Amino acid sequence: MTDSTLESFERIVVPLLDDAYTLARHLLRDEHDAQDVVQEAYLRAWRHYGGFHGGDARPWLLAIVRNCSYTWRQGTRTQRASVPYVEDEHGGGDQSHRATDAAAIASSERAELRDALDQLAPEHREAIVLREIEGLSYKEIAAVTGTPIGTVMSRLSRARQRLQDVLGLGGRAGEKRT
Amino acid sequence: MNCAQTRELLNAYVDGELPAEQAIAVAEHLATCEECSGIYEGVLATVRALRGGLVKYHAPDLLRARVRSALREEERPATTAPAPAIRRKVRVPWRALAAAVVLMVASSGITMVATRQHASAESLTRDEVLTSHIRSLMPAHLTDVASNDQHNVKPWFNGRLDFSPSVPRLEDAGFPLLGGRLDYVRGRPVAVVVYGRRQHVINVFTWPADASGDVDRTLTTSHGYNLLHWRRSGVEHWAVSDLNAAELQQFVTLLER
Repeated sequence: MTDSTLESFERIVVPLLDDAYTLARHLLRDEHDAQDVVQEAYLRAWRHYGGFHGGDARPWLLAIVRNCSYTWRQGTRTQRASVPYVEDEHGGGDQSHRATDAAAIASSERAELRDALDQLAPEHREAIVLREIEGLSYKEIAAVTGTPIGTVMSRLSRARQRLQDVLGLGGRAGEKRT
Repeated sequence: MNCAQTRELLNAYVDGELPAEQAIAVAEHLATCEECSGIYEGVLATVRALRGGLVKYHAPDLLRARVRSALREEERPATTAPAPAIRRKVRVPWRALAAAVVLMVASSGITMVATRQHASAESLTRDEVLTSHIRSLMPAHLTDVASNDQHNVKPWFNGRLDFSPSVPRLEDAGFPLLGGRLDYVRGRPVAVVVYGRRQHVINVFTWPADASGDVDRTLTTSHGYNLLHWRRSGVEHWAVSDLNAAELQQFVTLLER
């Protein structure tokens, strides 16, 4: 591989690090695991960069991140009987995520949303992340997750219903923003 | 279109994923069916809440550095050893990583010295400051005194240094104080005051200047980080962050006020 290929990878794929980390973080629910998986995914993406034929790199990269995340989880599941769900990790307690007073309220609402999201089944969680955070189309989500579009549609529908129930967003939920 | 059919398509309707014909049929049904339009409102409110409230995580600086160095490593043709497989058993080897990152940054400095005889003292200092910044992003390396109260941070430096760094309160401007630490740059202890900006960390290094005269702010970029250097009233200042240059400039303007 020539250096210009690496340059193109650094120009096109490396800036998607936040997207990759966000998906891994939600799929694994652990910031350290997410970092390890994203690093692995980037190496894998780089090795297969020759097979990427232009277009939007995001779905392509996210598919790799997703596969690495599930491979990782299968590996860890045999070791850790269950992954403890640590509330603290989701509230932005670490130093780098400390918020200002003004942003504190907004960030606690975000934490509540993230918590609700993290309670969903993995296939529902990934559908929400890919649609609501990454803004992918149904077709792109289907490509990333390797499922038919109809399945994407029903997963999104169930996931949203569940979140609506958990967060107490009824039909009149527009008022909830105070 | 009946209620059951409509409800099945509501999410795709909200997402704009339906063919025009079906979208029109759903819209027509919603206009006449109060129950279905109530459900539709619920989906809409949920989607709105999710899109407004869920934000991307910011990939930590350290991960950025790890990915970059892993790619460089992979790229090196001489060492044919395959990249280590995904680590499962072992936790992240932070120490080794720290060393790798430091090496990565330091080696760029060495190259510079070798290729350019007149590598300035400033560029060497810059590399050391940057190395320190990256090292500070390792877990538990950021601050020796973690406090968002300037009245805790400032006295903490007393007795540890032969000068006193200024620790202004900038929280109202969106730059909360995170704490302070001691570090070593150019062979001397320096004060580092740490501020936050959203998920970004800003390290402000200060120490008494050896040279005299003020130096205006200069911005340099290295390894994806922005560094601002200036000298004022006999004190060297370096502000380092992966924050964008404009906001870093804004921060320094507030700092100097």
